[in-house]
Amino acid sequence: MSDLVIETSGLHKEFRSIRGGVRVAVQGLDLAVPAGGGVHGFLGPNGSGKTTTIRMLLGLVRPTRGTMRLFGEPVPARLPQVIGRVGAVVESPKFSPNFSGRLNLELLAGSIGAPKARVDQAIATVQLSGREKERYKSYSLGMKQRVAIAATLLKDPDLLILDEPTNGLDPAGIREIRETIRGLGEAGVTVLLSSHILAEVQHVCTSATIIGNGRMLASGRVDDLLGTSTLHRVVVPDPARAAEVLGRADLAAAVDGDAVRVEADDPARITQVLAEAGVWLSELTPLRPDLETVFLELTRSEQLGGAQ
Amino acid sequence: MNAFVRLLLVELRRYLRRRAVQLLMAACVAVPTFIGVITIINTQPPSDADIAQLQHDAEMNRQSELDYCTENPADWGISPTEDDAAAACARQIPDAAAYADEYGYYDTLRLDNEEDDSGVAVASVLAILLLLAGTTFTGHDWNSGSVSNQLLFEPRRARVWTAKALVVTGGAFLVSAVVMTAYWAVLGIVASSRDTLGDGDLLNALQMGWRSAGVAAAASLLGFALTMLFRSTVATIGLLLGASVAGSLLLAALGVSERWNPAVNLVALIDNGTTYYSEEACHDEGYSDDGYYDCEDELSFTDASLYLGSFLLIGGVASFVSFGRRDVP
Repeated sequence: MSDLVIETSGLHKEFRSIRGGVRVAVQGLDLAVPAGGGVHGFLGPNGSGKTTTIRMLLGLVRPTRGTMRLFGEPVPARLPQVIGRVGAVVESPKFSPNFSGRLNLELLAGSIGAPKARVDQAIATVQLSGREKERYKSYSLGMKQRVAIAATLLKDPDLLILDEPTNGLDPAGIREIRETIRGLGEAGVTVLLSSHILAEVQHVCTSATIIGNGRMLASGRVDDLLGTSTLHRVVVPDPARAAEVLGRADLAAAVDGDAVRVEADDPARITQVLAEAGVWLSELTPLRPDLETVFLELTRSEQLGGAQ
Repeated sequence: MNAFVRLLLVELRRYLRRRAVQLLMAACVAVPTFIGVITIINTQPPSDADIAQLQHDAEMNRQSELDYCTENPADWGISPTEDDAAAACARQIPDAAAYADEYGYYDTLRLDNEEDDSGVAVASVLAILLLLAGTTFTGHDWNSGSVSNQLLFEPRRARVWTAKALVVTGGAFLVSAVVMTAYWAVLGIVASSRDTLGDGDLLNALQMGWRSAGVAAAASLLGFALTMLFRSTVATIGLLLGASVAGSLLLAALGVSERWNPAVNLVALIDNGTTYYSEEACHDEGYSDDGYYDCEDELSFTDASLYLGSFLLIGGVASFVSFGRRDVP
């Protein structure tokens, strides 16, 4: 059995308009999401091809070329064999507005032979109890999102694909969903989380793929994507003197307000140099870029490349 | 339980719970009931009191005519020189019974007549309502976007299309067969109570009702198939409306034979064959036995089935293939 739950190779999708125009949504995407649980972020600016990729994986959109596998099985050819292990929310929740939340869930559960108890359980998990018999169209966007997540839980999935799952949720709702996703990841479910909220992704994800203009820009563990920083911030009583001392020791240093920014492969060297000069630091912090910075740098350079 | 049967039951539940479908089903009962009640009332024979009143009125009317004729015999073409103008008027003016027959005429409830009359009306109404049911059932899914959600649970699109089609077609056939059976059964009972039920009339009417149920089921399937193709109820209804209006005008403008008029073919299906006006028949057949030009040709049930069935087949195949291949939003 493959050790990847999602695997795409040279995935390409073109949309053709009636007037003959062609829009390339995904071009040669190689995506690999490892099995074994955890949350894999799927990041990219609007129109970068995230949703199209997800829709292709789920058999809603046909790829122009390239191959895809879920749990090692080629899709869409063998999608029916693996779809029972995949829960998904694609873009905004889509249910029959005049049916109750419960009826919508019961119809979906019925199509896979899931018992009604599973519906009750899913409703309870997303905290919809008490309002599940109201019409779906009367729900707030946050409640609709909960129904969508409840639908994914009907299958007891091994892979969860969530496309902007916290859209429309209030802060408390976002936190709940985040905890639910984290919990599922820790329980052995592999979650592919597509989101624009990069801080959230950084909080929840163990690995991530960043795409732009339908191409993969970076992929790997979040820590690896953020990189090991050689830049440090040192807080000392006299930043100017500390910068001078560090400079004499061939360490690039510059005063930054009430602190000093220092380039050093080994932070111990900073403490050693300052201590030998009788300068006592009160704080030493490695300055790592956050995911947002990495994302913006990657997507900006992609856009510049595309423009050229 | 078999996965396909499970899917069928889900689609059946979805169909029955759809409010628009429920309203259309209610109309499928209400409209034929209304037409049936009107038919029964309109064919009600006059009571003894009505007949007595009619005879009295007829007598009075004849007497008034006689008086006028006697005073103005020339107006009735009687020569003023006629010795006995009153006797001449009495010979010329029909007796009261003729007046009574003329003014007391009413349509008797005969099932063989109703098949071509209210029966066709009921069958047409059912076909239209159930076409709308087939259209709105799936149009709602496309409109809300829930088709994609359904496919996340059952990605075999051929199965999904087939399950929905079976539910729509079966539901329409069942409803229209029950309604038509009830319609003819009630009219049959009433006709029997009025001694106007001929031998075999009820069976013929029931057979017509079941043919109508088949037509309604096919109409519902067509509505469903086109909506799965166009992904919009409005587009389907617009197309059907446009095709029926523009198509009729085009056929007339091009001088195409009535044989290709869908409405004529529909009647042939419901009535197990029909006749239509045909210029060619006028020239080919010449005079008929009763001395008139025989300008009618016959259209059989089979020919009509083949003609209308080809539209259904083309629409159905296009819809099935399209749903299997096109991207789902």
